[in-house]
Amino acid sequence: MIPVLFLGLSYDFRWSVLWTDGHGGWILEGVLTTLKLSALGWVIACLLGIVFGAMRTAPVRIIRWAGAAYVEFFRNVPLLVWLFFWYFGAPQILPQSAQEWFNRHGAEFWSAVLGLSVYHGARMAEVIRAGIQSIPRTQFEAAVSTGLSVVEAYRYVILPIALRLIIPPATNESLNLLKNSSLALTIGVAELTFMTRQIETYTAKAFEAFTAGTLIYLILCLGIAAVMGQVERSFQIPGLIARVGRAEH
Amino acid sequence: MVHRRRIRGVVLLWVALGLSVWGVGHAAAETTLEKIGRTGVFTVGTRTGSPPFGFINKQNEWVGFSIDLARLVHANIEKKLGKPIKFELKESKPDTRIPLLSSGAVDLIAGTMTDTRSRRDSVDFSLTFFATGAQFLVKKGSPIRGIKDIAGKRIGAQQGSTNERVLREKHPQAQLVVFPDQPAGFTALAQGKVDAYTNDGIQLAGLQAKAPKPDEWEIVGEFYSYEPYGMAMRKNDSEFRAIVNNTLMEAIEGREYFKLYEKWFGPKGEVPYPMSEIVLAFLLMQVVPK
Repeated sequence: MIPVLFLGLSYDFRWSVLWTDGHGGWILEGVLTTLKLSALGWVIACLLGIVFGAMRTAPVRIIRWAGAAYVEFFRNVPLLVWLFFWYFGAPQILPQSAQEWFNRHGAEFWSAVLGLSVYHGARMAEVIRAGIQSIPRTQFEAAVSTGLSVVEAYRYVILPIALRLIIPPATNESLNLLKNSSLALTIGVAELTFMTRQIETYTAKAFEAFTAGTLIYLILCLGIAAVMGQVERSFQIPGLIARVGRAEH
Repeated sequence: MVHRRRIRGVVLLWVALGLSVWGVGHAAAETTLEKIGRTGVFTVGTRTGSPPFGFINKQNEWVGFSIDLARLVHANIEKKLGKPIKFELKESKPDTRIPLLSSGAVDLIAGTMTDTRSRRDSVDFSLTFFATGAQFLVKKGSPIRGIKDIAGKRIGAQQGSTNERVLREKHPQAQLVVFPDQPAGFTALAQGKVDAYTNDGIQLAGLQAKAPKPDEWEIVGEFYSYEPYGMAMRKNDSEFRAIVNNTLMEAIEGREYFKLYEKWFGPKGEVPYPMSEIVLAFLLMQVVPK
């Protein structure tokens, strides 16, 4: 605390607020909820992304249009608005009994999962579309000329290459998803950011509480990036990506 | 030779940085009155969704009982400093008000903040300017009639409020659903996402009065906690605190307070809420002799 005294500030640091009085348990619970929310959102977003990303590159115009409609509709609305829509808005059209059932069975959590999935699904679709479209058309033509149908060509040739190509932007989107899960606190989901704010309101130690949140998100994101890096290395197709390095004479 | 010069340069740089930060640190230790005098602005943190303490009315104006009391404080600050001071409002909510105060973004919190001993570790409070207690807002005819009925039910609350804390610590059998602000909590109640919404009785009365169909709602239960509202300010600032307290005492003594009470809580006010004998006696007895 010597630097603090030297600076003449009057803040009284107390890092123990992060683990005393059950606050450690709160943080852990928050981390688990964030991970659950993000994992479920990520899986659904990836599925939606692959389906709609591929649709946007299909040779049939109606399918392309449907894919574009989904993407434009869901990514051009702020995520916060989507969360409010799925939690406060959408259930209103369901019958009363369905609404009550939903309310009793984790409406907050599942509305957040829905909101995150559709929003990030649209963004993933764009990432995957870019990946598919960066594959030369000749690959597709070659695949089809060996006797594969369009769907089979996508399934066995185009998508495997595309999925490897998009690992860096997909990592970016995955990290965004994890960080965006913090918005769920606005509809009552007790995730990590909610818990750090809870500690702050109980103890008034804003610096400690928010530093804890910052560090935990940082560690989670760096962890995910490291895992994706490892995935990229273990699944790479040798010779597919040109390594730009020292020119070899 | 180059080596020694570089080290000297680096050391000088750090000393300079340290001195300037130390200087800034010391500047931050000025009193609230000095800050107001220097900047010419008196900033008050208040609510935007808590009628009738601080809310946006139908004419889109930011008004309220607490805001009117803060204006009285403003008048006294101008008198004390002997020059006109700008009066500014900033939104503050249960989860942001103490940080806003400590960071200097606001000079006074005048809203619906309950004076508690643990909060007094972080901020100083003025005299109590309103006394109420926590209750529940439910749909008319709900089976919940009070604190004993909430086990296993979903109860909405605001993050950072004393009510949320009391329920979490003393009544863990209730399922708390915590929202960052009052509008979200009330919408959740209206849609049946929670079985009851808890807040201080007077704030529930405000929500009920402003609801599209006030008769659909009931406020139930005895006060399960005592909620004295005070204005909050930074700690260790006796001069500013004296001004705020003197303002409140003058207002109660000179009946200005009761005129404001009648305006907001009287039969024709935004939220009719007659003052009980106990609260009246308490307010009058807070006014110490000159």
